[in-house]
Amino acid sequence: MNWLGLVPFAIFSLLFLLLPTFNIVLGAFRTQQGAATLDNVMNLAQPRIAIAFWVSIKLSFASALIGCLLGFILATTVALGGLPRWLRQSTLTFSGVASNFAGVPLSFAFIATLGRVGILTIVIREVFGINLYGLGFNLLSFWGLVLVYLYFQIPLMILIITPALDGLRREWREAAEILGATGFQYWRRVALPILWPPTLGTMALLFANSFGAIATAVALTGSQLSIAPIVLFNQIRGDVLQDPQLGYAIAFGMIVITGITNLIYIVMRVRSERWLK
Amino acid sequence: MAYLDLLHLEKSFGPNHVVKDFNLRIEQGEFVSLLGPSGCGKTTVLRMVAGFETPNTGKILISGTDMVGSRPNQRNIGMVFQSYALFPNLTVAQNVGFGLSVAGKKRSQIAERVAEMLDLIGLADLGARFPFQLSGGQQQRVALARALAVRPKVLLLDEPLSALDAKIRLTLRREIRAIQQRLGITTIFVTHDQEEALSISDRVVVMNNGLADQIGTPFEIYNHPTTRFVAEFVGTLNTFEVTVTDPDVGAVMLGTTPLVLNRTIAAQKGAKVTLAMRPEAASLGRFGNMTLIGRIADVQFLGSIIRIRADIGAHQLTLDTFNRSDMPPPAIGSETPISLPTSSLVVLVK
Amino acid sequence: MKSARLWSYLIFLTGVMYFIIPLIGMFEFSLRKRRGEYSFDAYTSVLTDAQFQQTFLYSLLMALVAIVFGILLVVPTAYWVRLRLPKMRPVVEFVTLLPLVIPPVVIAFGYIRLFNTSSVLPFLGSQFGTDVLLSCGYVVLALPYMYRAVDTGLRAIDILTLTEAAQGLGANWPAIIFRVIFPNVLVAVLSGAFLTFAIVIGEYVISALLDRPAFGPYLVWIGSNKAYEPSALAVMTFAVTWGCMALIQVVTRFSKHTRTSI
Repeated sequence: MNWLGLVPFAIFSLLFLLLPTFNIVLGAFRTQQGAATLDNVMNLAQPRIAIAFWVSIKLSFASALIGCLLGFILATTVALGGLPRWLRQSTLTFSGVASNFAGVPLSFAFIATLGRVGILTIVIREVFGINLYGLGFNLLSFWGLVLVYLYFQIPLMILIITPALDGLRREWREAAEILGATGFQYWRRVALPILWPPTLGTMALLFANSFGAIATAVALTGSQLSIAPIVLFNQIRGDVLQDPQLGYAIAFGMIVITGITNLIYIVMRVRSERWLK
Repeated sequence: MAYLDLLHLEKSFGPNHVVKDFNLRIEQGEFVSLLGPSGCGKTTVLRMVAGFETPNTGKILISGTDMVGSRPNQRNIGMVFQSYALFPNLTVAQNVGFGLSVAGKKRSQIAERVAEMLDLIGLADLGARFPFQLSGGQQQRVALARALAVRPKVLLLDEPLSALDAKIRLTLRREIRAIQQRLGITTIFVTHDQEEALSISDRVVVMNNGLADQIGTPFEIYNHPTTRFVAEFVGTLNTFEVTVTDPDVGAVMLGTTPLVLNRTIAAQKGAKVTLAMRPEAASLGRFGNMTLIGRIADVQFLGSIIRIRADIGAHQLTLDTFNRSDMPPPAIGSETPISLPTSSLVVLVK
Repeated sequence: MKSARLWSYLIFLTGVMYFIIPLIGMFEFSLRKRRGEYSFDAYTSVLTDAQFQQTFLYSLLMALVAIVFGILLVVPTAYWVRLRLPKMRPVVEFVTLLPLVIPPVVIAFGYIRLFNTSSVLPFLGSQFGTDVLLSCGYVVLALPYMYRAVDTGLRAIDILTLTEAAQGLGANWPAIIFRVIFPNVLVAVLSGAFLTFAIVIGEYVISALLDRPAFGPYLVWIGSNKAYEPSALAVMTFAVTWGCMALIQVVTRFSKHTRTSI
């Protein structure tokens, strides 16, 4: 009888989450006629697809790594840098907003700022005499996209890592100090190793976060950029690959990658929670 | 000159004057407790010795060298925290060896010292465990070993037993004292538990409101408290407000009962003073030079001791007697003579 | 010590610059529509655009449906799992976290394959069916946040005692859930609802692939066809996101206040 209470949730998640995904995964290993095959997955190796995946991975990795690093520095500064308490609370609130301010509007904001006629581009040209675009900068490039992605990656990092920083107990620092350790030794041997699992876990989360992101890139580059989700998006809309089964394989590949990164996240979270029990 | 000298220490946090003209001289190998309620400044004194707080004025001398101004990591002091503060990412052995390791000692040297320390605390087999795999008592022992591994000049213990169960608290207390005596290390122990302080220390400093009220051996502190605060904070105490009738012979009036202490009282005739007495000083029956009649109000059987509350006029007296199988306690409501040896009645003027 | 704090402020200010300048940029840009002077022309132009009104209202409606549907699905489930099926908690939690693993574009792909006109459940055969499917997709997208919010809310109250007390007073299950449990996790539910709203209102991928006239596809369309209106829309979206987060803070703080005063 108890199981009846779970029926609505089970039906819903089966119908709108599990079965659609399962259908895709299954499709990745089937021919159009329904026979089992590995050809679709093998076809991912063709340059056009492989490059899209590679760019996606590079983009997600770069934005996750830099977001992680800068977010870590900012969070440490705010949590331990001796800044007033209200600054810390406002930083967290703003991070909550900024981490959700992704997608199309975010790319508009950056176009208005760093596009060819954006205010910052103009100010830098008029006031400092530096022509950003003349120097090879392009908002619609790989690193431009990284710059835009950082706008939601850094705040997400701050939101997740701040509790971990708060978990660093004052006594650990004092114990290390009284045992003769310098501040640097304390960070290298105690604080950073403790923060390492949650940081790595968050980085995996940031990676998955930008790997699936599509709206920002579409709005910035008009769906011309060859990254995995956009290739899949175009394939679904118009079968541009002339091979409907290849779409399944791309989707499957994306699930595998985000699945692995999320696994890393979960493992790392369990590890850090075990310590800080 | 003593081994560790704390001279005229003063510390304020903003408007709060937490430590006031604190003076303490500790001999080498001595075990001294700072005892007092929370907020009395005892932890601040300890943290000033460790170097986590800088005194506003005053000196902290270790074998004659002033430590004020030097960083905690240059002081060579061992410290154990209430919350253990073991590094969660390091094994027990790595925790114990941390101080030697940051000092750049050789691996073999560290391993040898760690083994010695783990042996000392009786956890020789647990070197590879992580702190979260240990019980609270084990963690605190590791913290002790970690503090001692660097051969510190002074050991500071900041309420090390407060977070532990009552039973472990007792065994670990004995262990700490045994290790301290074996190594002969100069130790300051901060606690709010008077029984703990009295049982473990060579000397006790009772602190109140940032001041050291009394410094003395456990025997002196318990039997000859010099202030009312010390008398009340340490142990159970009977106090009676009395009026001095003749200060020269020590005659006072307890309500309508006259008492004579046969010694001078440092107070004017007619002044109100407090008489204080431990429960175990009084006894049932007529023995000494001063006997009062009390009505038994309550009898608590505590095992080896029986605690009796008796009404003497409007006053209440608590007294402890040993439990003897051939002598049942008096019935409640009965009137019994109670002897008070005048020598054990302490006069507290302030 | 002094110089360390100086560094802190320096790093912090650099961060602030990165986050503030694009906001200033988009605001400034949105005012530039009239040549030679600042004006709110872009905003007027957007707000009077019939397509803006239609798509925004459509997304608003979808968001509200998704919120109501999500609450009706998540609250009883989370409650039941805590009360009667604690063993199933890891499984249910895992399922609710899956939308973070499976990219929305894949989910949308699955919908198109599974619910097309020739399938057993032809959601995509009618406009109404597609709308239902879209709102279900939104419930899925918001599931990780909604479930976590409600589950945290439930952890804070003693649901077993509350349930037994209600049963003792003769309440049936719907009454227990909607009149006893629900009001007690209202704050958590509201947080989840505002978060859902912030996620759904500008959502692009699923609505574009299901070909529905939502606000997200409209944003992309206007981004490639107009110059100043996109910035005006970005400013408004940012305000909406900010509003949602502020409302979460407000309800959380309000609840803390009432709890301590009881």
